Amino acid sequence: MAALARAEDFIAAGLASLGIEADEIELAVMAAAHALFWPEILDLLALEIGEVSPERGLDLSKAPAG
Amino acid sequence: MSALDLPLRKQAAALAAGEIGVAELLDASLARIEERNPALNAVVETFPERSREMLDAAPAGPLRGVPVVVKDEWPLPWRAQRFGAAEMLTPAEPAESGPYRALRDAGATIVGVGNMHEAGASSTGNASVYGAAHNPWNPERCPGGSSSGPAAAVAAGIVAGAVGADGIGSIRFPAAYCGLTGLKPTFARSAMDGHHMAAVTSMIVSGPLCRDAADTRLLGSVLFGTALAAGDCAGLRIGVLRDEVSEDVAPAVRETCEAAIAALREETGGEVSEVTLDDLPASALSAVLIANTEGMSGIAPRRLNRLSPELSPINRGFAKYRMLLPAAAAVKAERVRALMRRRLAALFEQVDVLAWPTVPAVAPPLEVPLVELPSGTLTADQANVRGAGLANLTGIPAISVPVGLSEDSMPIGLQLQAAWGRDELLLDAAEALERANGRRWVEQRAPLAVAGQTEA
Repeated sequence: MAALARAEDFIAAGLASLGIEADEIELAVMAAAHALFWPEILDLLALEIGEVSPERGLDLSKAPAG
Repeated sequence: MSALDLPLRKQAAALAAGEIGVAELLDASLARIEERNPALNAVVETFPERSREMLDAAPAGPLRGVPVVVKDEWPLPWRAQRFGAAEMLTPAEPAESGPYRALRDAGATIVGVGNMHEAGASSTGNASVYGAAHNPWNPERCPGGSSSGPAAAVAAGIVAGAVGADGIGSIRFPAAYCGLTGLKPTFARSAMDGHHMAAVTSMIVSGPLCRDAADTRLLGSVLFGTALAAGDCAGLRIGVLRDEVSEDVAPAVRETCEAAIAALREETGGEVSEVTLDDLPASALSAVLIANTEGMSGIAPRRLNRLSPELSPINRGFAKYRMLLPAAAAVKAERVRALMRRRLAALFEQVDVLAWPTVPAVAPPLEVPLVELPSGTLTADQANVRGAGLANLTGIPAISVPVGLSEDSMPIGLQLQAAWGRDELLLDAAEALERANGRRWVEQRAPLAVAGQTEA
């Protein structure tokens, strides 16, 4: 229940700060998406990948330089 | 047998030799749409006069007079794409997209527009402004998405080739579900201009869906604007993963794909080795994050207060949720991208291709697109993105090849991925796989592709 309440708070605060309106069905969809993605997003943010930084001059058609 | 049932390359050869008439083949394709499409909803619009104009003006290119279907993601000079949705977040106008020009210059005839999952947002194809597309192997099952209509049209024998788009598996999923060969090219190798996200995407590519590798090579060559030369993949070094996610595959899919990998090794005189690729789940999520944040990068938040009520609630709600994705996660996703590209570059020093099931389970029901995996029940989208996102995230090419049928007669696809620019190697490997199984799976026809034969 606490997680659900936090999700509702996150979504409500995010929408309000951006000036986006949502009806009940849309809010339910957003809550479902949040339940699906948020744990993985937290895992991603916590992922330790050392000093890897985004590639400069990224060219996805080729192998990374260097 | 109708000329429509010939492979794309043989249609082209027969037309060039005058063995069949160009107008005759176009009429047969239009008739077959009338005959078979009501059960499939694969083709959402035809324009016979425009098709005949293309035919009349067709140069003597490699596809002169060959009918093809194009996904509702590509604008045509007489028709804006609808992206499978009642409304697009960005304006769309009729235009000469890259795939249109490539097809026109090759002499092909666009016979219709293929259905797609609403806003390209799912691997299932079970929702669209036009209604769901159906799988010719079983109309109660998902055809795969988001290039649902192009795949269903080819699998049903309406056309021998179609052009899709792949942002996170959207060519490979329907290829696997419909028993086709589908190529996701190396990023930026295939025609992309005119796509509504061409300026911002680092994920989406155009690509061919056909019944076998040789046809995929031909249509791919047209989209690439250069011949994808056949080569020799003798001694192919095949890498397989044995991690927790890669092992979480329905038993029938796993056994079939393992048998196919063994057959490919034998056919090429190559070797199979177990390799590791850490953080694959993070790469899948990174692909999702990048695709979804890129897609919203030109949208003002308040624009989302004016969404059409005709959009599905899922599309409306998810569009708004995408605005809330944290920037830190999107930037971290770019770091994961850099990491995975470096890891893949090192891995492709050891192996020529990576092989794993395109999707971990066969096409689920349209009404309830859930799949049963050893780890439990997942939505098809949750399950499918795991193995597909890597190629889009890193830019490498990938191909799905049909390798068998499940007990309930649904196709199983094997995905092969190679280093940047080695699209030709994937086609060579796909052809080797066809030889290894006597072309059994590329010759197999969906029930709806043999029900009633339209003559040409």
